[in-house]
Amino acid sequence: MENTHFELIVIGAGPGGYAAAFRAADLGKQVLLVDKFDALGGVCLNRGCIPSKALLHLAKVIDDAKSIESLGITFQDPILDIDKIRTWKESVITQLNKGIAQMAKARKISRATGMAKFLSPNSIIVTESTGDYTYTFDNCIIATGSKPAKIPTFPEDPRIISSTGALLLKDIPENLLVVGGGYIGLEMGTVYHAFGSKVTVVEFMPSLLPGADVDLVKPLQKKLTIDFNKIYLSTKVVEIIPETAGLTVHFETASGEKFIESFDKVLVSVGRKPNTENLLLEKVGISLTDRGFIPVNDKRQTSVSNIFAIGDITGDPMLAHKATHEGKVAAEVISGDKSSSFDPKAIPAVIFTDPEIAWAGPTEAELKRDGIPYVKGEFPWQASGRAIALDRTEGKTKILADPETNTIIGIGIVGANAGDLISEGMLAIEMGADAEDIGLTIHPHPSLSETIANAAEMIEGTITDLYIPKSK
Amino acid sequence: MAQILLPELGEGITSVEISDVSIKVGDNLSIDDILIVVETDKASMEIPCTEAGEVSTVHVSSGDTLSPGEPIVTLSGEASSIEKNVDVEESPVEVIQQEIIETPQTPPTSAEQSESTRESNGGSTSASPSVRRFARELGCNLTDVSGTGPKGRITKKDIENYIKMVLQQPPTQNIIQDVQATTPPKPEIDFTQWGNVSRIKLNKIKRATGERLQEAWQTIPHVTQFDKADITELDKIRKSLKALNRNKNIKVSHLPFFMKAIVKILQNMPEFNSSLSNDGKELILKTYINIGVAVDTPNGLVVPVIKDVDKKSIKQLTLELSQLSEKARLGKLLPVEMQGGCFTISSLGGVGGTYFTPIINPPEVAIMGISRMQIEPVFINKKFVPRKMLPFSLSYDHRVIDGVTAVKFTRTFAAILEDLSILS
Repeated sequence: MENTHFELIVIGAGPGGYAAAFRAADLGKQVLLVDKFDALGGVCLNRGCIPSKALLHLAKVIDDAKSIESLGITFQDPILDIDKIRTWKESVITQLNKGIAQMAKARKISRATGMAKFLSPNSIIVTESTGDYTYTFDNCIIATGSKPAKIPTFPEDPRIISSTGALLLKDIPENLLVVGGGYIGLEMGTVYHAFGSKVTVVEFMPSLLPGADVDLVKPLQKKLTIDFNKIYLSTKVVEIIPETAGLTVHFETASGEKFIESFDKVLVSVGRKPNTENLLLEKVGISLTDRGFIPVNDKRQTSVSNIFAIGDITGDPMLAHKATHEGKVAAEVISGDKSSSFDPKAIPAVIFTDPEIAWAGPTEAELKRDGIPYVKGEFPWQASGRAIALDRTEGKTKILADPETNTIIGIGIVGANAGDLISEGMLAIEMGADAEDIGLTIHPHPSLSETIANAAEMIEGTITDLYIPKSK
Repeated sequence: MAQILLPELGEGITSVEISDVSIKVGDNLSIDDILIVVETDKASMEIPCTEAGEVSTVHVSSGDTLSPGEPIVTLSGEASSIEKNVDVEESPVEVIQQEIIETPQTPPTSAEQSESTRESNGGSTSASPSVRRFARELGCNLTDVSGTGPKGRITKKDIENYIKMVLQQPPTQNIIQDVQATTPPKPEIDFTQWGNVSRIKLNKIKRATGERLQEAWQTIPHVTQFDKADITELDKIRKSLKALNRNKNIKVSHLPFFMKAIVKILQNMPEFNSSLSNDGKELILKTYINIGVAVDTPNGLVVPVIKDVDKKSIKQLTLELSQLSEKARLGKLLPVEMQGGCFTISSLGGVGGTYFTPIINPPEVAIMGISRMQIEPVFINKKFVPRKMLPFSLSYDHRVIDGVTAVKFTRTFAAILEDLSILS
């Protein structure tokens, strides 16, 4: 490579890194984009959000087909061609990979493929297939993301897999144990259940999806209790013993009860860890928080002023859309736009199970914990014409607002398409809308988005789709 | 029935705090009886009764804030008991109204403003992401902007208007706001972690003085010139005058001589008797000479102003100084007695110390600090002789006055004190 100095080097080409590189290039910077892999897009595209959504789509079609049996339409049991499914999933990824690579090329962004390490606050070394190369920079954005956390006491066995392994879809195990009842475990559990596995979930905490409001989790938990083989809450895995016939798993409940079950595969989904340990950050003088994150300011600047950090390595929530937003902020700040700043009022969280769960802003549990007063407008989907027509009445939409001004501070949805519906709530929060604003906005009928207007009307007391007896 | 209202108390006084109510319902008042004592920014004063009669209602209580034109008491010549009862019942309502309409006397600092804005917005300022970015671009603190959009939302137009308004304000105010905008709020320090503490509320005079001093210090580029004057001869004259003085209540000090010397200088160096226009483009020269004298009182520092010093004799000045200082110490100075100064003298001569750097009293452009006279050996005619030397300082606004001019001032001042014949 002829040029070894760059105005900006971005380490990591995930949704945060490539957005940062593209934005900076568009603002006139010479950019080098470094990634461990040749395929751009990071975990999100290659081993996370995108392939899991492709598989969840298939799972939903299978589930939908089955569920309309009671409505009068019976399909034959699906026949799965696992190789074809895998090829299709790969094609989804490849299509997006190519798109990103083309866009990088069009922007004249230089690329290096290999692991990057810091040499100094102005240089990195990248171990590429043809040897080690040193690059110098004016500014650097670290966007190395995160990887699945492991449980150190579990043995090394090809049948014990992470989300990465689960997405490879090597086979469909007859019995699958999912360790961790978070969003990754439940999404992958949903896929494998639809593809024919008997799925068992074990969660250390007393509820699934710790962090989400219990009322939003309830309809999902009800469905999964039927779909899945077993859901063990307040239970931990003490030991896994690999045997030729399967994996013998020792469980222990919070009350001390012990039991043993055997599985063909175990999926470990107990959270994610930031990828900071191979960067040699000590060479530039960046120290990490006790959880291994890189501390940054609202410009996403680290303690070293020309080095920025974005995405999962800066801390929770570890979500692609947060990383993308941060990447653009860092790129703009580096390109001289001092007004750019990471100041979202909320970051949406979505769980792409069926039903989906999505929320934005603080949860009710958080508001209660922090003693923040709020009013709630709740609309059950049993009263939504569209939800009834879709045979999906288990959903619910709730809006949380400031009790004095009715300004919307949070929104939570469980139900079909919650992940798409949440965007209206996000816009409301960012624009400082109040319940009246949403209630007075005409929503299309019949649609699931109406439930947001209905929830707002519950706060305003202007609802006509429900009858609420006057309190007095 | 006659209502007695709070009279106009002077230019710029929109409200006062009541520190004492001297009357109660049923009191029989004559003209000039003291009704209440009020505190302004600068002093406390007694408000006398302007009509005679029996007090039927007291509309105020201690701690209230009152504006000129608002009622203090209602008097009744021949009040019936029924009327009294009615009035008494009304009074609490009116007192409550009083509290509601009270207006803060000093403009709220930006910190206070943002706090109240935050409150009224229920915890956050509502502005869309693009408006927030626009505000950051202009370095504008959103909590200072009031929104005109629906539900009080801040629009881009609101920010433009706010910035325009700030730019149109006089430059000195701009500087203050900038300073305050860029200084992050200081966290309250919990001193109790190191031991016991107690807290004393600063009175109104102290708070107002503090704000004025801070503004002066932050907005005026101060330079202080130090010098010494030989006042051996002057002190002899003062002593001879003191011997002639039969009124023991009147203190014969050096101050009237200093004032006369300053008059002479102001007449010859008019830039010291000036004010800078708000836009900083013009110098306003004054033809009158009023000199303020800083007086330490139990309530804080006040500066009574002696008018037309150029037209008054040493004797007149001595008398007036004595009267004003006494009034200041008793907290009875009227606002009008503290306005219109051209130049200020701050004397610590009676206390001690050598030199200090006084802070200019805006809109004036210079201030003199007098320190304690000391006997020092001075080399005169090839030998050291003991002389009474007066250390003094002159702080001046460097936008108006140059260093050379300032030294000329201090040298002339010393020369006059050394040879008073220059005055005549």
